[in-house]
Amino acid sequence: MDRRVANSEWDRLRPRRAGEDHDTEKTKLLFLGDATGLSGSRSLLSCRIRRRCRRFVSFRSSAPPSRLPTFFPSGGTLAGLRSMVSGLTCGKLASWTIAAVLLQILGLSFFMIGFFPVKPTLPGFSGPESYRMPTCEPVLNAQDSELPPEKLRSFYKELSKVPPSYDRLVLMVIDGLPAEFVLGRDNKPPTKTMTEAMPYTQSLLSAGKARAYHAKAEPPTVTMPRLKAMVSGAVGGFLDVAFNFNTQALLDDNLLDQFKRIGWNLVMLGDETWIKLFPKLFIRQDGVSSFFVKDTIEVDFNISRHLDAELAAEDWNLLILHYLGLDHVGHIGGRHSILMAPKLKEMDDVIMMIHTHTILHQRNNAADTLLVVVSDHGMTSSGNHGGSSYEETDSLALFIGLSIENSDSAFNVPMSASQISFISCHATLSLLIQVDVAPTLALLFGVPIPNNNIGVILRGMLDSLTDEQRLRALQLNSWQMLRLLQEHSPGLLCGNLTGIGGDIGLLTNQDVDSTNEKLGYLFSKATSSHNMWLLRQTSDVTSNSNDDLELAVSSYYKFLGNASEWLSHRATDVIFISCRYVDKLNLMVLQKPINLLLSGIAIMLISCILQLNIVFKLFKEVFIIERKHFSLSKELNQVWHIDESFTLIGILIHVLSLGASSMVEEEQYTWHFLTSTLFLIFLLSVIRSSLKTPASYFMKSNKHENNHPLRKSLSNEESGPTTNDKSSRSKQLHENYQASLILLVLILGRVLRGWHQGGVNWAHLPDISKLLIQTGDFYIKAFQIITLLGLMVLGSFAFSLVRRRISLVYIVWISYFICGFLVLLHIIDSQSNIIGPTYSSVNSMAQIIYICVGSVILFTVFVSPWVLPVDHEVGSVITGLKSSSQSNDMQSSSFLLGVRDCTYLIGTTFTVFWCLLQLLLQQRINDIPVLIVYLQEMASIIYFSSYRTKHRQWVEVAAMYFLGMTGHFGLGNSNSLATIDVAGAFIVNFFTVQFIYERLGISNHSTVLSGILMFIITYAAPLLAFLSMLIYISVKDMNDLLPNHPGLDTLHLMIGFPCLLPLVLNSVVLVAFTIILLLMRNHLFVWSVFSPKYLYLCASTVCVYIGVLIIAFTVVYTRSVLAVRSGVKSSLYTNSLDTKSVSDD
Amino acid sequence: MDNGEIAVSKALALHLLCTLGLAAGFFAAGIAYNLSLVTDPAQTLSFLLVFETPIVVASYSFVRRDHDRPYWEAVSMALFGLPVGALLNALGAIVLGAPVGPKYWISTIYWSCLMSLFTFVPAVCVFGWSRMDWQRIIANSKPKQATDCLVSLPAQGAIVGAWLGAWPMPLDWEMPWQEWPICVTYGAIAGYIVGMILSTVFVHVMKNHPHVKDD
Repeated sequence: MDRRVANSEWDRLRPRRAGEDHDTEKTKLLFLGDATGLSGSRSLLSCRIRRRCRRFVSFRSSAPPSRLPTFFPSGGTLAGLRSMVSGLTCGKLASWTIAAVLLQILGLSFFMIGFFPVKPTLPGFSGPESYRMPTCEPVLNAQDSELPPEKLRSFYKELSKVPPSYDRLVLMVIDGLPAEFVLGRDNKPPTKTMTEAMPYTQSLLSAGKARAYHAKAEPPTVTMPRLKAMVSGAVGGFLDVAFNFNTQALLDDNLLDQFKRIGWNLVMLGDETWIKLFPKLFIRQDGVSSFFVKDTIEVDFNISRHLDAELAAEDWNLLILHYLGLDHVGHIGGRHSILMAPKLKEMDDVIMMIHTHTILHQRNNAADTLLVVVSDHGMTSSGNHGGSSYEETDSLALFIGLSIENSDSAFNVPMSASQISFISCHATLSLLIQVDVAPTLALLFGVPIPNNNIGVILRGMLDSLTDEQRLRALQLNSWQMLRLLQEHSPGLLCGNLTGIGGDIGLLTNQDVDSTNEKLGYLFSKATSSHNMWLLRQTSDVTSNSNDDLELAVSSYYKFLGNASEWLSHRATDVIFISCRYVDKLNLMVLQKPINLLLSGIAIMLISCILQLNIVFKLFKEVFIIERKHFSLSKELNQVWHIDESFTLIGILIHVLSLGASSMVEEEQYTWHFLTSTLFLIFLLSVIRSSLKTPASYFMKSNKHENNHPLRKSLSNEESGPTTNDKSSRSKQLHENYQASLILLVLILGRVLRGWHQGGVNWAHLPDISKLLIQTGDFYIKAFQIITLLGLMVLGSFAFSLVRRRISLVYIVWISYFICGFLVLLHIIDSQSNIIGPTYSSVNSMAQIIYICVGSVILFTVFVSPWVLPVDHEVGSVITGLKSSSQSNDMQSSSFLLGVRDCTYLIGTTFTVFWCLLQLLLQQRINDIPVLIVYLQEMASIIYFSSYRTKHRQWVEVAAMYFLGMTGHFGLGNSNSLATIDVAGAFIVNFFTVQFIYERLGISNHSTVLSGILMFIITYAAPLLAFLSMLIYISVKDMNDLLPNHPGLDTLHLMIGFPCLLPLVLNSVVLVAFTIILLLMRNHLFVWSVFSPKYLYLCASTVCVYIGVLIIAFTVVYTRSVLAVRSGVKSSLYTNSLDTKSVSDD
Repeated sequence: MDNGEIAVSKALALHLLCTLGLAAGFFAAGIAYNLSLVTDPAQTLSFLLVFETPIVVASYSFVRRDHDRPYWEAVSMALFGLPVGALLNALGAIVLGAPVGPKYWISTIYWSCLMSLFTFVPAVCVFGWSRMDWQRIIANSKPKQATDCLVSLPAQGAIVGAWLGAWPMPLDWEMPWQEWPICVTYGAIAGYIVGMILSTVFVHVMKNHPHVKDD
């Protein structure tokens, strides 16, 4: 202690340099006094400090009092004054920040509306009007659809002039079957194993009794949107897809409802997604859940066991079989799993069974049965799906039982030039888009085409029809599409439909530039060639009849193809990468509302600049204060340190990297690289400082050797001129300790990087999680339990740092143990869970955990500021982890310490319970990563709190934010929608949203709840970083920044950077990426890479808002409560203290 | 004790030698065994090592700061420092995300030895165990003496170059050189050469304006 006094005295006695003013010197004294914990014996010094502080106050509260915002509840004499004073800058800061955030939200919503248009859909169901030519006037003949089913059916039959070819339909969906398994790839036959696994199907194909297609599925390739696409023929808009991950009843027009309306009986066996989509449609149903991933046998047996009875039954017209087993096989063992061949054989057997049965059946009955085998999506080599790679989108459509026997008949008809080029493009006709199934089935079964359909009837399917019927079918499809086009661009045809006649010549040479005109022209061309053909037929001119037919067919297809492509762009803006139609129109350039987009960007830019400005001002203020405190220390006065410049460069590089699609896909590398480099730089700075002290000591003793100014770093107060060996050794130890903390962060970070390979291009490479899954359940469970125990120990350690153990702390502590125990029970139970459906006990346990966690957190946040003792005696309730919170005899210091103690308790509660919740929610394989992220955050907090002056606060906050983002990707997230834990997709998880539903006992699926849970799971790590920021605020030694005086405006210094910096970092990335997205709007990957990333970015913006809100609310609440309490309790005391100090002066 | 002065020509010669060593390594690997860094990274790196190690050790030991130390001591310390520096470099690379696994061990070892030659070995040769020199070289971002330039600028260049060289690795160009040690090695060598040029310039500047070192 004496040495320190000597130190400060020495500082004071040093000859003052010319540039130093009086204030600086005094403030430095103040700092030394506070930091070293001088007790009352140095009353002279403390008097000076107080006087200085009052001057500070008067300097700061120079604004007129009328403008003081009432940011805090005024709670008493001194407290009221105090809060008003601190509210001055804080209020301004807060209001500016809120304004900036609101601007950002506004700009973002402008951009979102402009960039992701909500597709106009036609409401209601197609009725008899679909057999009439669309007109400009809306058709309202609802009375027709009120007909009883039987009449409606015959009415349709009469109107359509295309007799239904079949009476019964068996729709067999094999989840996740890539068409490659059946049809091969790139005109190569499938591999031998695959061929041998499906002998019957292959024999059907080679005998021409079946026709198979590669059906291209649109991303996201998950089951529910794909089923919707197949039955409605519509492709959801991009945001539709993103927001409708939850299975909800399909209300749009679709095949199944059309069948129901003509009186069909529908039976469904298999995936319960169908039941959720069509809740009351089936006369019999047996849904299986895709919940039990590991089960590849039972799910399919549940369907097949009904098969005999159903095939024998006469009462159904549509039988849907949805087999999940193959998808499960893929999820477990990947595309080339050894279970794949037996599973394919099983599917083949089912196909054989149905087919032979229907053949037998046909003899007895005139009814024709069509067996359609489709798959909803493919799978990657690791068995996942959701993305847009060829492997995932390559699904199968297989029609068995067609009347035509010769599959080559389609090739026999003379082909037009466009057809030939079309074929030469593909070398096969067998490629379609998944939605094409819908109109084809509608026409084959004599129901109206669903009105939002964008599919085109398959060429090969019409061969059984007469020429007239073929053209009629194409006409119906065109009319339906025309109605949809009219919905998108009203008045499309009103102008030029009137001019349709036999005169093609009038229109052919017309220079068509606009989309509408082009489509209108194509349609009228098709209609006129159709009319021409009809004319020729009636006039019995045989010559050229075939040519006319072909002309009509090809012009219909040309129209349909272009319209379909245009509509699909409009609807989803999914760019079909396939060269489906050779003759592409110039429709690719999307007509975006450019003004909306630009104004959105401008607003976001303004908000970003505003935020940057706020942060810069804050930085300047902190810098000035720091400068006053450390005016003597040369290197602290440097404007830029290496860590700061690197942080800036890192942010810049990250932003730039987002311009490259593969860097977006592989963002996890970027974050890990940047974060690790930042921590390596921290390590370097520790090593530097450890080398520096003895050397500077050495230099001082050899003053003749160098003429540098004395390098006297105030960060280590011990190293004054009175440095002795002991202190330097303890300092050495301290630095070793710091270095080991950083090394811990680095090594854990590397483990985290290796845990999930992540990304897209190298996702298949081995990583720790795959290894663990392979080694089996036992190890995963062991790791889970280790994680839990580790978390319990760490949490207890964190709680044990609360020095004054009031009962509240014990309550929280004990409930933490209880929750931990419940989670442990849950982990142990989860084994049996996979096999058997008896999870009601687990269900209630999970509910208990939720309630427990929620109530404890709320209780702690709201109650602890009222309960924690606020007194003016020496000592804080809670230690900062290191060297903070030295006691001080000043009442204000105890106030500040009280705030920090309380924040510490709340922050600890938040973080440990958050981690517990994650153990419950995350996939089982992610438990260790959660612990790793927690450890990293804690280690960096300890490091930052123990090492206060080397890094500026904003670098530390940025480092924690970086850790959070690295953790986000470390938990297996990526910028592809495939990695979200959605609606059971993805089965790799056990604790998916579906699971939560079961657990919470929520029968109808609430989008909001599932969205929240999805968000909690996905943004576990960044939110953990924000919650840890509370601990950081509480233990960060800010004595240098906060001179422990109530008058000084400390709130914004305390939470300024932790709140503002994440906002700014996110805002910069958001603005930059918005501009990138706009520039990339015609990029090939805009919908598969950039748009999902944009959605992620929006979600992370929300995450930042939530995190910042939690931080700001907690600290402000705690402060104001404590201000009220201490104000009420101690205003007298303080006044007397102040008077005393004045008299001392 | 030497005050760290060094003739510009000497510095230039030293750097030229080091560059020549690298070039000779590439040349020998390419001509004699038809190896290139892209196709056979490990073997090519070993060639570079074989040629570069003696040159770096010999030449930097020659400009050792403390000329009282015998030449062989500097050389032996350099040979001792090579694996130590390699270990540090390898740890740094792995922490930054270099792949771990039997497939990559050999190339990682060779690469880190090469990095050690660029960074650690020259420092060991020149400074030995002089603590003061070490703290100066690590703690100061600006070199103050000519020998500091000679050691630290190429080393910093190599590290920054290697760091930058890692950036193309996640791109989906599917080029063979995007594999682990290849583009990082290219980056390191490029940075090393830039550092050497800068160091020559600095030595020249310091010679002509001796007051620079006082800043």
